[in-house]
Amino acid sequence: MNAPTDAAAAIPPAAWPQRLANFRIIPRIETYPAVTKLAQTVIGKLLILALFILGLRFATEDWIPVSLGLVAITFVPVRRRILLTIATLLVTFGVPWAKFPHPLYTSALIGFVIGIAALLFWLAVALPRSFFGRHPVLILLSGYSLLIVVAVYFPNDTHWYLTVWDFTAMFGAYLWFIAYSLLDRRAPDRDDFSLQVGTYRPFWGSPTVPFVKGAGYLRRIEARDADQLAVTQLKGLKLLAWSMLIALFSKYFTQFVYGFLAIPTFREAFLQSVRRTPYPWYTCWASLITGFLGDILAISIVGHRIVACVRMAGFNALRNTYRPLSSRTIAEFWNRYYFYFKELLVDFFFYPVFLNYFKANKKVRIAAATLAAAGFGNAFYHYIFYLSYISELGLWRSLLAYHVYIFYCAVLAIAICMSQLRKRGPAPTGFFRGHVVPVFCVALFYCLLNIFDYTERTYPITEHFRFLARLFNLNP
Amino acid sequence: MDHREEIRKYLRELLLQKGDKQPFADDTSLLLGGRLASVDAVEIVVFLEEKFGVNFSDIGFDQTLIDSVDAIDSLIQTVKK
Repeated sequence: MNAPTDAAAAIPPAAWPQRLANFRIIPRIETYPAVTKLAQTVIGKLLILALFILGLRFATEDWIPVSLGLVAITFVPVRRRILLTIATLLVTFGVPWAKFPHPLYTSALIGFVIGIAALLFWLAVALPRSFFGRHPVLILLSGYSLLIVVAVYFPNDTHWYLTVWDFTAMFGAYLWFIAYSLLDRRAPDRDDFSLQVGTYRPFWGSPTVPFVKGAGYLRRIEARDADQLAVTQLKGLKLLAWSMLIALFSKYFTQFVYGFLAIPTFREAFLQSVRRTPYPWYTCWASLITGFLGDILAISIVGHRIVACVRMAGFNALRNTYRPLSSRTIAEFWNRYYFYFKELLVDFFFYPVFLNYFKANKKVRIAAATLAAAGFGNAFYHYIFYLSYISELGLWRSLLAYHVYIFYCAVLAIAICMSQLRKRGPAPTGFFRGHVVPVFCVALFYCLLNIFDYTERTYPITEHFRFLARLFNLNP
Repeated sequence: MDHREEIRKYLRELLLQKGDKQPFADDTSLLLGGRLASVDAVEIVVFLEEKFGVNFSDIGFDQTLIDSVDAIDSLIQTVKK
């Protein structure tokens, strides 16, 4: 039943580009039998933990609670999921007392949000045939949008005004985690809420995009035995080391580019363009390219660190960023650049459209679903993320001022759509035509699109086009 | 050709289109394991709808349902019942 297929034809000897691609700075220690065997012993576990915690000490300021959670999970792997919940709740309710000015108030808000999440989860499971049971995520997202509207129109001369906004912000911080729980409601091996809550802003640290997805995904990628745990933890250790190497490189890259070469940051170059005293076109290109590379480095460092912790906890999660600059299509880059954000858009926007509409025509179906995810979903996610603009400008003005990012999402969605639907002929052969040219074109597209990746509400889109024109020396 | 062999053949072709010539077992996780991406999941969904009449809007969709040969076979058996 589990016999390998005969798909593996004889692989020709690797050419030098292939050999170069296979070169690894950090060796694949998880494939060495002696190392994996050692990693299953108490000494080995202690050694891996010690190295990991040492690395974490330099990688994040919250290394102590994360390390304590990882130690507990490493030595009691059979209770991994409940320990995840305990560690997450301890961090969730402990952090306000260490970091926030009103810890009781903040803790109460968090408790209230988790209470609502529990109620929603229970309702979705208990009433599967009701409208809510069939469309819980739709109702959650609509309800949250309504909450924002209420907050905007709430009388600002009452002392409840700030509380309403605080609650809205807190609910927003948990929104997509709750959504993943609701997505898990139909799974035959669904977890209880006590385990679901462990995935709500887990102790290993997560931005508003859930790292790594929800309970359903964790169940699938959990290490099943000591051997899998050893391999997963070794991969986690390697990824943390890789994250630190990239951080080191990023530090010197920044010093070299912005210090030694004195290239202005993209923001500086853009502002100079706004002030009508633009830098020369070649300096604008340098700013744009170095800013783009800096973004890739930054997202890799953070993503790798979090996924490294996830792996140390015994979950063999995929990397968040995986060689984006080797992508040969626009869709591939999108998949490789920020994997868990892309997954969020796919899970909550792409599949609902793809599975329910335009079934008669595959191309229309894919196009509609892609526009829903990369276009609408992307714009919606970022619009509700930046609540400060909504509270400051109101609903309509904040939406109007958001037009630059809406344009960005529209172009991105159309490009991904075309990338997915384009009929592919035989791939060009040769290293230059088959690899260098497509990789360069994809990187150039995203680099130029980065000019419009702008969620602030300060400058109109004409300024962004002005900068774009400046790159081609069209507005001296 | 039985269901399982048809699924294997289809997944093998999908992997080969991506330049992935590595073998896979019936329980190999292809989507969650990272060898296939969301775009490929879409292809698998269309394949299952057209070939086996699976209607995901009725049963609900989760990538784990189509993650491996075993998972897809189990899904088809469930739908048939």
